[in-house]
Amino acid sequence: MADPAIEPQKVVPPTSAPDDVLRVEHIAKRFGPVTALRDVNLHLKKGEVLGLLGDNGAGKSTLIKIICGFQRADSGKMFVRGEPYEPRSVDEGRTRGIETVYQDLALIDELSVYHNMFLRRERVHRPIPLLANRQMKHEARAALDEIGINIPRIDVAVARLSGGQRQAIAVARTVNSDADIILLDEPLAAMGAKEGAMILDLVARLKAEGRVSIIMILHNYVHVLEACDRVSMIQDGVIALDKPTAETSVDELTEIVVNEYKRARQAAQAEEARVRAGEPGAQ
Amino acid sequence: MANVAGGPASQSGPAAAAEDAARPRRASLPDGRALLERALSLREGSIIVVTILTAVYFSANTSSFFTAANFETLLPYFAPLAILGAGEVFVMILGEIDLSIGAMYLFAPFVFYKLATAGIPLVPSVILALLCCMVVGLVNGFFTAIVGINSFVTTLGMLFTFEGLALIISHGQPVATPGAAVHQTTQQVTHVVNGVHVTLPETVNHISTFAKVFGAGTYSELIWAIVIVLVLQTVLTFTRWGLYTVSIGSNKLGAGEAGVRVRSIMIRNFMLCSLMGGFVGILEAVRAQSVQPDPAGANEILFLAIASAVIGGTLLAGGSGTVVGALIGALFLGILKDGLVLQGVNANYLLFYTGLAIILAASVSVYVTRVRRGRGIG
Repeated sequence: MADPAIEPQKVVPPTSAPDDVLRVEHIAKRFGPVTALRDVNLHLKKGEVLGLLGDNGAGKSTLIKIICGFQRADSGKMFVRGEPYEPRSVDEGRTRGIETVYQDLALIDELSVYHNMFLRRERVHRPIPLLANRQMKHEARAALDEIGINIPRIDVAVARLSGGQRQAIAVARTVNSDADIILLDEPLAAMGAKEGAMILDLVARLKAEGRVSIIMILHNYVHVLEACDRVSMIQDGVIALDKPTAETSVDELTEIVVNEYKRARQAAQAEEARVRAGEPGAQ
Repeated sequence: MANVAGGPASQSGPAAAAEDAARPRRASLPDGRALLERALSLREGSIIVVTILTAVYFSANTSSFFTAANFETLLPYFAPLAILGAGEVFVMILGEIDLSIGAMYLFAPFVFYKLATAGIPLVPSVILALLCCMVVGLVNGFFTAIVGINSFVTTLGMLFTFEGLALIISHGQPVATPGAAVHQTTQQVTHVVNGVHVTLPETVNHISTFAKVFGAGTYSELIWAIVIVLVLQTVLTFTRWGLYTVSIGSNKLGAGEAGVRVRSIMIRNFMLCSLMGGFVGILEAVRAQSVQPDPAGANEILFLAIASAVIGGTLLAGGSGTVVGALIGALFLGILKDGLVLQGVNANYLLFYTGLAIILAASVSVYVTRVRRGRGIG
């Protein structure tokens, strides 16, 4: 019955390396009847850029949100630098050195560029904790200059900026923090080629500095092979592939996805056949 | 966000230099022009203009409007609304609404009365009554932020519940406000008339210090209003609490993702709003020397307070608003009512004109905001 050309799905078991900064083991998450993640095993080495791939709805963003502390996993364990890590809030993740650029950017339209850049990390005066706006403007400008993002005015509301500029600010906010584990959920989504290249350059520079480790969700396999050291692919709630980019190719990645579609189609056809076979009996 | 400070001085680096080069006209403008532009683009700008025009109109048309005596008449019209509006702004910026302040306005003075007549000193009684109001705010916040019921529904329920509770504990009877009674004594006062010393008895009113502070003093409510508005505007513009309030109203999910404790801030703002409702209730009870079990009057105050906030430029949709705007909105409503009365407008027309004026003022406010945004884009 099964087409021999279609490979069954593989499941990557928990692995670890001595220089892991983050380890994710057997993470599962359900939303009511929908199983987003079944059994996810992932590890991230120090200074590494890990590309996270997967179809729409495969659970990439859910995994990111669990790692950063915005959502809680139903089961499974996580470790940051070998220490158990069970974040109950984004703040808790932040204190462990994890910062995130979300797919929806989490920017506040009504707030200025610099307030957005320091949201939840505001600089305040002492002893009366009023916002140190001047200092934040100054630091925000310096950070944007260093990254090379051209935002003409940083005291305007981010609502007035273009999609690419907004994305750049969300990335700059994360890179500018003290975090050493950075999660990027589709950082190139709203960007033109020029801005996208700038973000990839930034990732390459961070990689060269070797201080931070990065997990990055990308859709374009060419970008993945260019920017990442290693790829992990989520399929059907599990990690189905975990390979250094040097050992894989666009062809291989494509084939895995094609196989996933074939399996899905086969499953759908089998289901249909079963329903048809059942119909006469039911009458 | 009204960011007052700033300017090109704080910018540096190559991008800033490039920016200056790109827009030399702007960079070379004197600071005064930038300041004027900033003032005109203030969220409260339009309602300030409308309020001044209204005041000028009544000054020109009635001889008694622009007088010190009338200013004192005007105060109780707007100071309570300004305080209630200030609290309401914190909830409205979240994109929520608090209707229960009407009930707090009615309920708190009765709690104060019960506590004070039970032998608890006046000031602790006030504090305990206000704490009760904050617990109500906590419940509002709990049902809205954690259970997830729409705040309109939650607070409408609490409005009826606590107005009802105020009627129950008061048995529907008005009571004299503790500590607010005015004692009259007769003193012999000597005047010199045409070189002759004349001694006559005169009646002197004695108001307790407590009453003077909590509403009965001529400027008591005004001072409270100004202090509360300034403090809350500072909180809104220059503290994390304010920043997070705007964040939640503008992008609730995003604020949560960034790590803002959305539920905690929402509950806090509901507690603040209820506190203001109860506080104004006590101020008014002390000023009037009696507590009336009158839900209709409380509801009118509630709607005028929301109107003040809306006229002052706070969006019902959330994400944007100012406390100072609510003060000016309240002042506008006060001037309108006072002016119409002085002009001898038939009492039956008062509500009618007030309603039209609210729609007009809010339209101007929305229009100006839209123009301001339109100019800013690009």
